[in-house]
Amino acid sequence: MRSLIALKMVIHDRSSTIGSLLGVVAIVFLVGQQLSIFFGLLNYMSVLVDHGNADLWVMSENIRNADSGNFISGRYIDRIIGLPEVDWAEPILIGNGLFRTPNGSYENVRVVGTKRPKLFMGPWQFEKSDERVLLDLESITVDSLDLDKLGNPPIDYITEINGKRVIVRGITKGARGFQGTLIFAPLEKVRDIAKIPPGRYSAILVKLKDVNKEEAIKKIRTILPKCSVYSKEELSKMTKIYYITNTGIGGSFGFSTMIAVLIGVVIITLTMYTSILGRTKDFAVIRAIGGRRKDIAVIIISEIAIIVISGVIIGFAILATYLNFTRNVEIPNYFPIFVIPALALGTIVVSFLGGLIALRVALKADPASVFH
Amino acid sequence: MIIKAVNISKDFYDGKQKRRVLLSINTEFYPGELTILSGPSGSGKTTLLSILGLVMSPSEGKVFLDDRDITGLSDDQSANIRLKYFGYVFQQPMLIEGLNLLENVLVALAVQGKRLSNKDYKKAEQILESLGLANSINLKPNQLSGGMKQRASIARALIKDPTIILCDEPTSSLDAGNGQIVMNILKKIAIEEGRIVIVVSHDARVLPYADRLIKLENGEIVSDTKEHSKIQKGVA
Repeated sequence: MRSLIALKMVIHDRSSTIGSLLGVVAIVFLVGQQLSIFFGLLNYMSVLVDHGNADLWVMSENIRNADSGNFISGRYIDRIIGLPEVDWAEPILIGNGLFRTPNGSYENVRVVGTKRPKLFMGPWQFEKSDERVLLDLESITVDSLDLDKLGNPPIDYITEINGKRVIVRGITKGARGFQGTLIFAPLEKVRDIAKIPPGRYSAILVKLKDVNKEEAIKKIRTILPKCSVYSKEELSKMTKIYYITNTGIGGSFGFSTMIAVLIGVVIITLTMYTSILGRTKDFAVIRAIGGRRKDIAVIIISEIAIIVISGVIIGFAILATYLNFTRNVEIPNYFPIFVIPALALGTIVVSFLGGLIALRVALKADPASVFH
Repeated sequence: MIIKAVNISKDFYDGKQKRRVLLSINTEFYPGELTILSGPSGSGKTTLLSILGLVMSPSEGKVFLDDRDITGLSDDQSANIRLKYFGYVFQQPMLIEGLNLLENVLVALAVQGKRLSNKDYKKAEQILESLGLANSINLKPNQLSGGMKQRASIARALIKDPTIILCDEPTSSLDAGNGQIVMNILKKIAIEEGRIVIVVSHDARVLPYADRLIKLENGEIVSDTKEHSKIQKGVA
């Protein structure tokens, strides 16, 4: 009956209920939206490392992230391949260039060179054509998210990067780096575009046989003391942490998430407080006719639970609509499954904290006040 | 069962000084009687009712239910006594707006979380029917007249089969016709059902319904009579 009273009160006091619901929805949606952008950017930060099918990355010494290494010698490849633990080792080249758009303007692009014919660091998802297009020396791929930015070059469109002739032969999907537009090309073409000296590479990707990874890393570090050797997971994490802590992204998202939570909690607190204040007489009557303080608490907590659970469901529905809508636009978004229960739980906790002031007011209802 | 006030005094503080509003009240109330507490504003009648009804503690003195001292109980113990023995009718009906009439009555039974049975629903419907509200059980308070609301609040008081019914100016917000209906119901509850009914009122129109009239002035009982002729005159 106490839960029924709570439900009836929530339904009856529509304006307050809508206000409180708005607070909960605001927390779920605003925080969820911030987190989806944050996780989307996290994915961009380490996109090449995460999507490359290598177990280890060998780069120049003292690197702080996957994008900041110096070039290393190609001779290291032979030393690595010589180890019995190694299945294969392939070089990649990453350079910068200016892409000439169809209207004659230029856009900064990051060019990733993959070695033919294996193409181990090639694009992982295509919207049009497939990775075989990169077997042709002049071919490049552009990403569907960057088409507008690059002036919508069609397939077989001939243009230049840093004055070097290239042909758009494929459209990738989801290949976007934290530092901007990613274009894939054969390794030799990238060397030509970025003017990288022969025999020098950005990194060597290593695939291990079925062996102990830690032991293999130690062994490669021993034979290549002037290089950084990291597992895919280590390098991915290191790159993300670097960008979060060195670009202000972490603080910025942390702050905006806190503001979103604060706005939601303030809305919930104020509306619940006003609602309970307007019904103090009801609670005084309940107390007078035999209700204990804990009975009042059960009613209020039930009210908060009804509002919060409804708000969380509505909030996630709106968030899902937003995420679906922004899936194919330039706004980065990625919402890992593990965030859903964490966000729901967090919202429930802060919403209940917001409702505590209202609970305090209700518990103070004086049964004697019902007698005039 | 009787309810007894022994040397009840009550002080209020207005922030600067203590003001005594009840001075050593000694009285007892018996089943089968409708007692009216009368007196001018500020005489302490509502304060006495609040103390008898365990919603306010006396500064001095004790309240007994038979021989059981019910003063100084914990918050939960007081609530349990109120739930078990007392029914309340307030000046304003104070029904919960979100609940319909039937639910407003049942809330008095289930306020501590009791699971309601079909018997409880039937009983509530019977009480509402006996008070002329059979056709209104699904209506919300804002769809009812003042008299209907007050009758519903009496139903809420009766659903628990309380030993004592405390009424605070139950007719003051009603017109003469509805006031008569309410007082007839209260009289019937006292006489036919053998309950203790205590009514605070300064409305002379309720005096004919009283079996006993207690007059308070300046926090003291100045008269207490069961003589019908005196009650009628309201002079005791």
